Amino acid sequence: MGTTGFVFDERYLQHQTFNGHPECAERLTAIMDGLAGAGLLDDLVQIAAEPANQRWIETVHNIHYIMKFEEACMWGLPDFEHQDNSICRDSYNTALLAVGGVLKAIDAVMKDEVKNAFCAVRPPGHHAEANQAMGFCYFNNVAIGARYLQQQYSVEKVCIIDFDVHHGNGTQHIFDTDNSVFYYSIHEHPSFAYPGTGREFETGFSTGEGYTKNSPILPGRGDDEYRERLLTDLVPTFKEFGPDAVLLSAGFDAHENDLMSGTNLSTEGYEIINDTIFDLVSSSTGGRVVSVLEGGYDLQILPLLVANHIRKMMAL
Amino acid sequence: MFVTEMMKTDLVAITPETSLAEAKELMEKGNFRHLPVVDADGKLVGIVTDRDMRDAHPSSLLDEESYQKTLDKVLKHTIGEIMTAEPITVAPYYTLQDTLLIIGKKKVGALPVVDEEGYLKGIMSTRDLLRAFVNIMGIEEPGTLLCILVDEQPGQLKKIVDIAAEENVSLGSVLVARDWDKEKRAIFPYLLTNNVISIKKKLLALGYELLDPMQWYLDQSPKKE
Ligand SMILES: [Zn+2]
Repeated sequence: MGTTGFVFDERYLQHQTFNGHPECAERLTAIMDGLAGAGLLDDLVQIAAEPANQRWIETVHNIHYIMKFEEACMWGLPDFEHQDNSICRDSYNTALLAVGGVLKAIDAVMKDEVKNAFCAVRPPGHHAEANQAMGFCYFNNVAIGARYLQQQYSVEKVCIIDFDVHHGNGTQHIFDTDNSVFYYSIHEHPSFAYPGTGREFETGFSTGEGYTKNSPILPGRGDDEYRERLLTDLVPTFKEFGPDAVLLSAGFDAHENDLMSGTNLSTEGYEIINDTIFDLVSSSTGGRVVSVLEGGYDLQILPLLVANHIRKMMAL
Repeated sequence: MFVTEMMKTDLVAITPETSLAEAKELMEKGNFRHLPVVDADGKLVGIVTDRDMRDAHPSSLLDEESYQKTLDKVLKHTIGEIMTAEPITVAPYYTLQDTLLIIGKKKVGALPVVDEEGYLKGIMSTRDLLRAFVNIMGIEEPGTLLCILVDEQPGQLKKIVDIAAEENVSLGSVLVARDWDKEKRAIFPYLLTNNVISIKKKLLALGYELLDPMQWYLDQSPKKE
């Protein structure tokens, strides 16, 4: 049994969204309470987060966009680019720290200090485009992580698996002409769910053609459809790509209790996701993987799903 | 929505004297399926479609030599000989609904838009109609589709729109489905947000039923005997 690293920092609670916003600081406190209650925290290797150096943010995001975001926070504006993206004065620093947490987790895995790691960070990242904030996301944590793996550790092929119930438009678009990063996403069908992208015919462009794969799930289809699509869409494409490193966009908002979506995935359904992905990970990168929190908004079920996910990582 | 907002205005128009060879090249280069034909003053006199062009072509069953010979001859003819003169047109004040119905009824792929004096103003094709619908449904902007079951009585839509407004959420579009259960209607608001939780909670608190949209589609599809 390998060791699993864990990123959390009290400062992640400082990104305050407006009252009633689903992407709230309580998500992380609920996760921490849940992990403590399940007795998991003591077995995890704590990894300290540090704000990411801006040069890593710039591997994905346009410098003007970065400055615009910093300014919006500095001025104390209520939101950034859309009313969904609620901000406070500390949001910019918290977003830097979220990216930094992911980079630290990557360091720990690449230096063999841990076998794999889970990052309980916020704000989330997969909707963030190179030059636009969207869907509660400002910096694309996972996308920057992929660039970091390639530039800092000379990793060639990175696979990003995104099982948040929403399509990770930002991640897809950032890499859509890139054949060194394979992006797979399973999510609620874009005709029904935010952000309205992630259809099967979106497969990448020019040199990146074939390096994007989407599995849209119709509302209400639940566990069976997830099992089916993971087996037919993810498993063969993942094996064909043969990644050197794997990052996860771990979203827990597909659960039937989560009002954010309608895919109707059960707690057991999430185990199907865990088992399928971690099987692939253990046979390709020997269990090395960094999993990064995206969505998940039901405060009762979220900690349970995260605990189950982490347990499977610890068993790798 | 008027045709002037949807029609294509950067037009390539030809005259009745244009040769088929020239028209063919223009169509292929611009990927056009229709070319409006105008007189020297710019007044519309006809329309030529890719179908008209194909019909004028020699048969592909001919051997290559006679095909080429016939083709050379054909391409020297003028558009005036094959165009549809006095085509069905619409005026700039026609609406989206008008053009939808006309295109469906007359089975044409494009409608020239002409003003009262007969001058060509634009062309409205099925492609432009499709683009207009993408715009009307708001689906090029990120958002979430809800499906709400309401009683068939006035004021329901307003309550839903009010809740969206309270939550500071913009609407991309709202579709209302008829022919549902006699006493019920299904309302599909497309909300330009990822943040649907509090709206859903408010709708549920008002007693609305949130439908699984797939359930609705399945119920609507023809039943197998
Ligand atoms: Zn999500």
